[in-house]
Amino acid sequence: MSDQTVENRKVPVWNGRVTMNVQIKGSGPDLVYFHPASGMAWDPFLDELAKSYRIHAPEFPGTTPGNPYDIHKIDDLADAVLIYEETLRGLGLNQPLAVGQSFGGMMALELASSFPEIFSRLVVLDPIGLWTEAHPVTNWIEAPAPALPAILFKNPASAPAQAMLALPEDPEAAILATAQLVWNLGATGKMVWPIPDKGLSKRLHRLTAPALIVWGEEDALISSAYAGLLGERIKGSRVEIIRDCGHIPQVEKHPETMTVVQPFLAA
Amino acid sequence: MKVTYFQQVPYRHLDDDFERRHESVVTTPYFETTKPAHVASAFRDALDECMIAARAGFDGITITEHSQSAYDMIPNPDLLESALAYVTEVENLPVALFPVGRSLGKSREPLRVAEEQAMIDCISNGRLVAGFPVGLAYDANVNNGVPPAETRARFDENLELILRAWNEEKPFPFNGKFSQHGSVNLWPRPIQQPRPPVWITGIGNPKTMEFCLSRNFGFNYFGWFGSKLTGRRIFDRFGSVAEQLGKPRNPFQIGFMQSVAVAETDAEAERIYGPHIEYFFRKGLGSIPTNRLMIPGGIDIRGLEFIFRDPSDFGMYEKMRTASFRELRDAGCVICGSPETVRDQLVEMCIDFGIGNLHAMLQYGSMPKALTQQNIDLFASEVLPHLKPIFADKYDHHWWPERLGGKPAVSETAREEEDAL
Repeated sequence: MSDQTVENRKVPVWNGRVTMNVQIKGSGPDLVYFHPASGMAWDPFLDELAKSYRIHAPEFPGTTPGNPYDIHKIDDLADAVLIYEETLRGLGLNQPLAVGQSFGGMMALELASSFPEIFSRLVVLDPIGLWTEAHPVTNWIEAPAPALPAILFKNPASAPAQAMLALPEDPEAAILATAQLVWNLGATGKMVWPIPDKGLSKRLHRLTAPALIVWGEEDALISSAYAGLLGERIKGSRVEIIRDCGHIPQVEKHPETMTVVQPFLAA
Repeated sequence: MKVTYFQQVPYRHLDDDFERRHESVVTTPYFETTKPAHVASAFRDALDECMIAARAGFDGITITEHSQSAYDMIPNPDLLESALAYVTEVENLPVALFPVGRSLGKSREPLRVAEEQAMIDCISNGRLVAGFPVGLAYDANVNNGVPPAETRARFDENLELILRAWNEEKPFPFNGKFSQHGSVNLWPRPIQQPRPPVWITGIGNPKTMEFCLSRNFGFNYFGWFGSKLTGRRIFDRFGSVAEQLGKPRNPFQIGFMQSVAVAETDAEAERIYGPHIEYFFRKGLGSIPTNRLMIPGGIDIRGLEFIFRDPSDFGMYEKMRTASFRELRDAGCVICGSPETVRDQLVEMCIDFGIGNLHAMLQYGSMPKALTQQNIDLFASEVLPHLKPIFADKYDHHWWPERLGGKPAVSETAREEEDAL
């Protein structure tokens, strides 16, 4: 039986100046999940993983409700990488598995490049972090709100997409949720504005963990052309393209994504 | 009160269907839209108009900054103000030079700002009034690449560096987060010491008001969203922030920008200015989509909650792209009519809201120079004399150059407060 209740653990880092909130759920081998730019949310993909793994999901500084200003204590990506590393040490994790989506995928790749021993295996889902003139990455932070569903999903009207985009029914709760979402995009955006290329490409050769790269074939935020570019830069990595799918394969094509991710994690 | 002439440099020849064809006025393709002769004449006309106003008796020339935009082609107001500093000095005109828009959240070279403005103060022999807004999102973040979540911190640090650079006795090193300098030793320094008057432009955030009051800066607010919709809210808020801080309220600490159109009669004013007013609001502010004014990270999370609960601070903004002249006039986006109509409304508004500095925007959008001159002349002869006496004997103006009758109050207390920060 897996434990499906969420525990929130506070981890003081950055010499006590920043408090990381880590959401923990499930049982089994340790797995760290790096959430996307919008913040941490549990979805059916993560719930299913929690049946086989103990998931540790650190919330990016500033994205924890009630603690918005920790983002002001972090100047740049280099700070954030060290803060994540301190967090994983604070949790006492020893070479956990890692899964990261989009912005979280980039954070996982940065960590694995800076600290090659940190993860035993690594899955990235449509990660940002690379840039080529031929395929400019869509600026999701400055996009008008009504355009976001079509940037994130191949089929924004589909049930899984609608479930992820839904706001609380209570008007005040919806206001707070929207403000938190906008703030989260600003906090994570501080690391990647205005071009989400902060030199990852020149660090990727340091990454040694077995890596699986999963990409939605019709990703409108960061083209699936990047799957191959990333694969070439990570020695021994494997690329899986999910058909008829946008930027968030684990939500839009949950079963298909699970089919490639599960065996890789279990190997 | 002090009345300044407020200038932007719009491209005055955008197509009639511009706002339907283009996503925004801050992403307009340049070569597709402009003719070089029209751009050149826009700058010549703007400088001519500023000089017409300076000679007509305005107390200052106020100029904004908006790069990469078709509605205001001034990437740096100091360039125009320095030209005006020279000519007004030659002609012995007692006007303040007020680059109201030198955005510090955007600036990556704050020492250059300090140098430029010190130079303007020297050219004009002490007539500079410095204006430092945080900066608009599309400009600071998109055009200049500053992460939105960093804009405010950059503003704070840049301002600190500029104020020190203006009056620190000895060369000093500066080890900031955004600027590092081994030795800062500005040449020249402003004539006005320890510093020229400093003004901050805000959109209604109480934190900005608090900042101005506690640091003894002037507070500017621009009325494009519709002074009849937003003025009461904003100036009441300023009053209550002042009260909370125990600061006396002095109208001269408040500046307000208002678009104004004056003709012989109300009907005539509507007829001759109406199309230009519609051009300005529809193809200017109305053609800047929300996502280019508010980018995630740029507005504090509590501010976001406030705005989502009650967007009234934005007045007419949502409707501006299709607004008619009458809707704009009724909202107070423009005060338009005969000299009596305009005078009565301005006098009532300035007294009611406690505004001691009015920045009159008298050229907007497609308005040609001849019509702008008519507007300036009529305003200067029929309206200005009724505004100047307001508050004149009741308060001292601590946010205005001494050479122009101000009593600058960068008191020892204020300086100690600045040092403490």
